[in-house]
Amino acid sequence: MSQITLPTGAVLRARIKKANSAEKRADIGWLGWIIIALGSAAALFFILGPLIMLLTTAFRGPQDLLPFEDGAQWTLANLAAVYLDKSLYTSVLPNTLIFTAGSVTVTFVVAFILAWLVERTDLPMRNGIYTIILFPLLVPGIVLSITWIFLLAPNTGWINVIIRSFLRLGESGPLNIFSMGGMILAQGIGLVPFVFLLLSAALRSMNPSLEEASNASGASPFTTIRKVTLPVLLPGLLAPLILATLITLEQFETPLVIGFPARINVFSTRIFFELNPDTDLPAYGRAAAVALPFLICGIALLMIYNHLIRRAESFVTVTGKGFRPMRFPLGRWRIPAIAFVAVYALFGAVLPGFVLVWASLFGYALPTFDTLSTISFAGYIDLFNNPKFWLAARNTFIVAGASAIIVTSIGVILAWTILRTQLAVRWLLDFISFLSLGIPAVIAGLASMLLYLSLPIGIYGTVLVLVLAYSYRMAVSTRLTRAALMQVHAELEEASAASGAQWFTTIRRVVLPLLTPSLVASFTLLFIIGFREFTIPTILQSPDNSVLSVMMWQAFQAGKTTQAAAVGTMIVLFVIPIIFGLRRLVLARDGRD
Amino acid sequence: MLKVEGLERSYATPDGLVQAVKGVSFEIPSGSFYTLLGPSGCGKTTTLRCVAGLEQPTAGRITIDGTVVAQPDEDIFVPAYKRDIGMVFQSYAIWPHMNVLENVSYPLVVRKPRPPRDEIKDRAMEALRLVGMDALANRSATKLSGGQQQRVAFARAIVRNPKILLLDEPLSNLDAKLREQMRYELQELVARVAITTLYVTHDQSEALAMSDTIAVISEGLISQAGPPRAVYDRPANEFVAGFLGGANFLTATVTEDDGNNGLAVFDGGAGSVRVALPAGIHTGDRVNIVFRPEDAALHFAANGTGNQVHASISRLSFQGGLTECHLKVGATLVRSMLHPSVEAKVGTEAWIDLNPARCTVYPARETSRL
Repeated sequence: MSQITLPTGAVLRARIKKANSAEKRADIGWLGWIIIALGSAAALFFILGPLIMLLTTAFRGPQDLLPFEDGAQWTLANLAAVYLDKSLYTSVLPNTLIFTAGSVTVTFVVAFILAWLVERTDLPMRNGIYTIILFPLLVPGIVLSITWIFLLAPNTGWINVIIRSFLRLGESGPLNIFSMGGMILAQGIGLVPFVFLLLSAALRSMNPSLEEASNASGASPFTTIRKVTLPVLLPGLLAPLILATLITLEQFETPLVIGFPARINVFSTRIFFELNPDTDLPAYGRAAAVALPFLICGIALLMIYNHLIRRAESFVTVTGKGFRPMRFPLGRWRIPAIAFVAVYALFGAVLPGFVLVWASLFGYALPTFDTLSTISFAGYIDLFNNPKFWLAARNTFIVAGASAIIVTSIGVILAWTILRTQLAVRWLLDFISFLSLGIPAVIAGLASMLLYLSLPIGIYGTVLVLVLAYSYRMAVSTRLTRAALMQVHAELEEASAASGAQWFTTIRRVVLPLLTPSLVASFTLLFIIGFREFTIPTILQSPDNSVLSVMMWQAFQAGKTTQAAAVGTMIVLFVIPIIFGLRRLVLARDGRD
Repeated sequence: MLKVEGLERSYATPDGLVQAVKGVSFEIPSGSFYTLLGPSGCGKTTTLRCVAGLEQPTAGRITIDGTVVAQPDEDIFVPAYKRDIGMVFQSYAIWPHMNVLENVSYPLVVRKPRPPRDEIKDRAMEALRLVGMDALANRSATKLSGGQQQRVAFARAIVRNPKILLLDEPLSNLDAKLREQMRYELQELVARVAITTLYVTHDQSEALAMSDTIAVISEGLISQAGPPRAVYDRPANEFVAGFLGGANFLTATVTEDDGNNGLAVFDGGAGSVRVALPAGIHTGDRVNIVFRPEDAALHFAANGTGNQVHASISRLSFQGGLTECHLKVGATLVRSMLHPSVEAKVGTEAWIDLNPARCTVYPARETSRL
């Protein structure tokens, strides 16, 4: 046998490096390397590809040319055209700020009160209320926006008609959805379920013994809330606030459906109208130039969000089961609390659902006993006889399903690479996948348009381009899978290796089965996001790749109210079973019924 | 047979290089039970994981049954899945998505080429019968108690009849009572399968009870290795004496010697003992006298043998079957065991009888107290 030589200095360091990395990757084998390389490359392409295209486009001109078309060159003209234009500072910028601040305030106040009532008070029927509040999650934003028009349009909106009939006012008003107030209301109420979900999770994560210790130290319930509960929960409560700001900032449906008729432009619609001017050719460079600060804002908000989430996680809190949070007795506030929930449920869930179904069957007129006799299924019959509807429905399922599969698969690869290897690239992957959360859909749409118009692969205008454009949302699946993988003790994988299993066998037989619940959750969530998606398919629309949300909007714009309502109803009917599947999964984890 | 030579494992940390294992060598004959015993962070688990192939050494050589599986200077490293081992993990690592039988069958199912289905089942059931779990073969892994999980983990580790069995603190996750019971059971199982076994623990009673050979590890090096009795009775140094079984240390000065034996007078004139001196210790040298609590018999009067230390009782702790007694010899704490029927009071004077044959003498160092 050979003599063993003892390493020193540089040799030792090299050995350590090799030993460190080898532990985690020597066993991966060529198949593992290929899978990790493909997953990483796909993630980088889906996120960075469009973004790089966007950045270059902002500096290429003339503005009606694609950035790498013949004749295009480097220029600052796009930036000048956008940022030397006074209207940006007198209308777009202040509108965006007012719209965002107003909507987020409405969302946060309503969602916080609801979450507090459900999680921390003795409100009756809490589980039922929890479900009702989340119900609007299954209605796509574009459908909600249109139902607000049905309710609050100045002439024919139901609520206006009712108020006028009581107050004997004139032909129009008194309320007008087509205003900044209307936009804020519609958007603010629409986002409540999502923020409620995050806030109630944050409220639930607090260890009640922290509060009990405060009580046992002689603090009154109110002092405990002020001195213990709120400070501990603060990061967990601010994080959803930041996320709500990010989502509202990137909102496109409400500004398009309600803001456009009201002539209120925000950043997202401004980008859209640069691409779809009334008379001119699309101005790619100018759209990209508008997008830049928008993107920076999004990423800045994301960084704040990340910071808060880390802080919240360091405070948290409940590890064991069986914690029963202290519930605040409502006492004589019980009736007002129930009334608050009821009013929210009426405007957030019941009325929009009712007006949608009603309009699809009876047309847009206010329901009276006379109109009951005019019931007509013509809207649906027309729809089912329209091949465009079936094409759109097929496209919607394909795009939502395929992109959810792609992103979930890449998410598993990224999560495993980030947690279980020592590769230097894992930091980049982690950062990039998180970054995707800060990219507004409008920008994703615009950037994909630029990329796939420029790439000579001829997929622009097809369903495939939508699949690829949707597939940038890595954050959801990476985060979910990562959290689940962290719960998988490394010894479970080592035990497989010690039993003689190769890397891929371990992944297939141990890791993937253990991750199944989070993979299903990730797929379902992404499928729903894809099913609701309106912004990206609107920007990338062509006759062949129309999806249901776009079809509904086109019908509404063309004045076919009944058909639009019928499409909206069908979207909700398609998506209900999926949402309930997800709800079962999520709630089973939280230990609710 | 397992042979480990000059094993080193270093890590680069922000504060510089850290050597977790500093050159560990040992050899386990076929069928023997070898225990690495030491406090947490001493490098024992790292050594075990290097043998398993879950970690790579930075120097040295590991040979399993004549095959070199790791030797960094020759660029040899056989990954875990290619080594013929069975391992029981500290957390048991029972896969929760499989039932008991599936867990135990796994090492056979992933073997290439895969044995026939009937053979897999037969062998897995045989392993389960060995650990007394055959009746629960179809139970979900999530519905097992700690002791049952341990049995399943053991069955999984031996099902493919590996050359080496690796046990990484397998009892540390159990509560005290169950731990004792499983210790006996594990001991019997290991004896029955007769596989070369490397066992890692920080629990001295496990090590003493189960092993053919104990190696006490401290700061990445083996301090002493040998049969349990020999290591316990003749600890090679104060670390081993202190870690294995608790020990009392008293400083003394040798006042006379005849080349083999000498008289050691304890500091402060508290007493003396006539003991065998190790080589190199002569009249006038300072020494540490080490003796175990069970060898420190208490009396309440001087006996005139000259093998006694005068002390005062500073604390009594009744523990059921015995009373632990803390005494002060000058400023030094000495522990002794009393039968609970002995009546003693804090503050009373006492004499500790020392059995010279069970005292060990070390040259004194000022920082030697552990």
